[in-house]
Amino acid sequence: MSVWGDLYRGETEFDFVRNRRRFFIISGVLILVSIISLFTRGLDGSVDFTGGAIVEAPNHSGQDVGAYRANLSEIGLAGARVQIRTEPDGSETVVVQTEALAVDMRDQLVAKVAEISGDNPNDLSIEAVGPTFGSEITRRAIEALVIFLLVVALFITWTFEWKMAAAALTALFHDLIITAGVYSIVGFQVTPATVIAILTILGYSLYDTVVVFDKITENVHELGNRHTFTEIANLSMNQVLMRSLNTSLTSLLPIGSLLFVGSYLLGAATLREFALALFIGIAAGTYSSIFVATPLLTEWKETEPQWQRMQRRASRRTSGIQLNEAQVASVKAAEEKRATGATPRAPKRRTKHR
Amino acid sequence: MNKRPLWTSLILIVVIAWGSLGAMVASGWDPKLGLDLQGGFSVVLAAPEGTDQAVLDQAVITMRSRIESLGAVQEPEISVQGDRRILVQLPGVEDRERALAAVGTTGQLTFRPVYDYQAISPAFLDGTLPLPDSMTTTTTAAPDATTTTTAASDGATTTTVAGETTTTTAAAETTTSTTTTTTTTQPPVIPDGIDPDTGISLVDDPNQPVYLPGDDGRVYSLGPAFLTGADLTGAEPGFGSIGLGGTGGWTVDPAFTSEGGAKFEAATAELSQFPYGDPRRQMAIVLDGKVISAPSIAQDVAAGESLPADTVIITIGSAEDSQQQAEDLATVLRYGALPTTFERESEGSVSASLGSDSLRAGLIAGIAGLILVALALIVYYRVLGLIAVLGFTVFGSLLIGTIILLGQTQGTTLTLSGVTGIIVSVGITADSYIVFFERVKEENHRGRALKPAVDYGFKRAFHTIITADTVTLAGSALLWLLAIGPVKGFALTLGIATLVDVIVAYYFTRPFAQLLVRSGLGEGGAMSIRGAMGTTATEVTS
Repeated sequence: MSVWGDLYRGETEFDFVRNRRRFFIISGVLILVSIISLFTRGLDGSVDFTGGAIVEAPNHSGQDVGAYRANLSEIGLAGARVQIRTEPDGSETVVVQTEALAVDMRDQLVAKVAEISGDNPNDLSIEAVGPTFGSEITRRAIEALVIFLLVVALFITWTFEWKMAAAALTALFHDLIITAGVYSIVGFQVTPATVIAILTILGYSLYDTVVVFDKITENVHELGNRHTFTEIANLSMNQVLMRSLNTSLTSLLPIGSLLFVGSYLLGAATLREFALALFIGIAAGTYSSIFVATPLLTEWKETEPQWQRMQRRASRRTSGIQLNEAQVASVKAAEEKRATGATPRAPKRRTKHR
Repeated sequence: MNKRPLWTSLILIVVIAWGSLGAMVASGWDPKLGLDLQGGFSVVLAAPEGTDQAVLDQAVITMRSRIESLGAVQEPEISVQGDRRILVQLPGVEDRERALAAVGTTGQLTFRPVYDYQAISPAFLDGTLPLPDSMTTTTTAAPDATTTTTAASDGATTTTVAGETTTTTAAAETTTSTTTTTTTTQPPVIPDGIDPDTGISLVDDPNQPVYLPGDDGRVYSLGPAFLTGADLTGAEPGFGSIGLGGTGGWTVDPAFTSEGGAKFEAATAELSQFPYGDPRRQMAIVLDGKVISAPSIAQDVAAGESLPADTVIITIGSAEDSQQQAEDLATVLRYGALPTTFERESEGSVSASLGSDSLRAGLIAGIAGLILVALALIVYYRVLGLIAVLGFTVFGSLLIGTIILLGQTQGTTLTLSGVTGIIVSVGITADSYIVFFERVKEENHRGRALKPAVDYGFKRAFHTIITADTVTLAGSALLWLLAIGPVKGFALTLGIATLVDVIVAYYFTRPFAQLLVRSGLGEGGAMSIRGAMGTTATEVTS
């Protein structure tokens, strides 16, 4: 049987959990690089966040928004916001907003706008403009996010358990930091659309993790009295692997299409910024729900007495009744715990299986 | 299994989804596009020279709150431009004046004691008469101005009809008296800064006595404010019985802070010392330099007695647009006054900032992406993939229909952020199908026959879908409630899409799959459900 055939039937037997250290190292390095870049290079906020310069000029030549933007990107101002304002008397004014510029860039901007609009550069003035996506919107968005995360954590705790909530949120931060890190490293401008995209990733990452945890919970109920948590986690992930891959594919196809067809082939640079964030974020979201959230959960769960007992039983099954020193120690520790009154949970009730 | 409920559900949702979208398109309803996709209206508001930057920032916050609470305009873009201007851009063109009024109205509210009032003579207005000194000591009532008291059952409420008559409701019989010439015993201080032509104060300073015009055509001589808009915690529009004979009318009911309430009670106690009929028994409610009403303390309130603060009602009237006026005034009061006054400059309509090229590219890319998704699903899941593709059309129709409906009724606009929400929701709804189909495969591989695999698989998959969608839904609801600006627009689209996803999964996907597995397409052939399972019938029955 080929791997693809197994994958198709959900019968793969990849050992995701055994290699978890490797994945943790990969993720850790990515997060570290992202954080370093975020602190040293920072993020490049667009005019919507930082404010900048605004130039207005009578649009004598009658050019459209696209023509202005194309010409402005030639002098490196691809992120400029261009609008045509129709005055009550019917005449047109072109309004160009850019991020804060150095003096020589300001002159270039004025000259360029004047050239396209057919005005005298000396007639145009450049003014400062404040952010539209100002500190108030940012503050409110952050407040909303914090409350959102709290509610989600409570919800997952209530539906599953708190360790799953913690693992899911860890995976979430993993995705957010890496996405923000890519923006910082590549130096793409962060626009309001990017913020939206990052919020989307948040929803997506949680969604993806919840689907995997739902499967684990179900398998624990069915198999929890015969298998170790590691085995169950591995089984669950192999079962949902095809779903994860397919979902990533169907989510990434429209976004990838937006990224490549929209922004590269058709030249709509404005679409690139959020399509990229979504692309990275969703890829990271799929990765983290398999390689971060679940291995992390496994690491935690295996320390629980109930699952440690299961592990001892499993190792007895495989290696005969010979216990190594560590296992003897852990059995002793467990017995001591029992003596002190800390009773381990009774094995889960056997549910029907066929 | 009885197939009839399955058919009913399936047909009903398809008819509702396609039918409602078709009807909307046929009647010419389009989704309302936002500022970035379709452009809108732009106005520059200028503050007085030398206004502090912090004042402008505060004004931007207040303007945004006011516009968003109107509900009719979503995602305005407001920014400080230069050193004393605010650039306001609004999507769409409907309700433009209303939105502009919301950003432009200063909203400075004061409650002032009335010293006196006088009718404005036309000559006075056109500047042919100089400001008479006598104005400060003598008032002549407008010839048709009558002060009327009417009976009321629930004690003293202070209300005024904006217009020619001043009405006071009191628990007494109706009496009508005409005010003629009154000589005030206590001449008020003549304030500085009076327009020599109109005799009206240039600046409505709450701490100074002023002359201000009233909606009833009088000029009021007013004392320093008892309390201002800062003493309000909120304001609610309402409809109640006002004026003569209790005709219904729109009102605004301000709520005071506890401190403001105490100030109000002290003020009314002060005013009630004057005899009934004396203008000094009246309290003027002044908004942006205009006396909108000046109710008198009811006749039966004894001298020195105070009125509870919750009796204050600002009366708007019963004209056709009164409801909107009341709502807008309540909005303005709720979010407080602008820290300074603004003048409108350079208005005009603005083009979309994204331009048609971006929108076209986005649409082409979106459609190309959808086709790819559809192909992938059909190749992978065969006839089940076809369910997903048809499901997309139902999902899309419901989603776009809801957005159009909200646009038409609530003024909700679709921006690039919203479009992003839709594209992402395609991924999420595709996942619902994948979770379901993979589950069916798994159940089938575990040995369930096709029919129970579909039935049981849906039950389990739906549990997963509900759990995961609840997280998304809770997230979008919270973001919608708490966030402002583009984040709100995104949350709305994503929230609706998530709800639609659950509805489609239950009412479309489930009956379709269950009917399909019982039809000829269940077994047999590479395109059948069996084909998608990668099992054979014999393998399963063993």
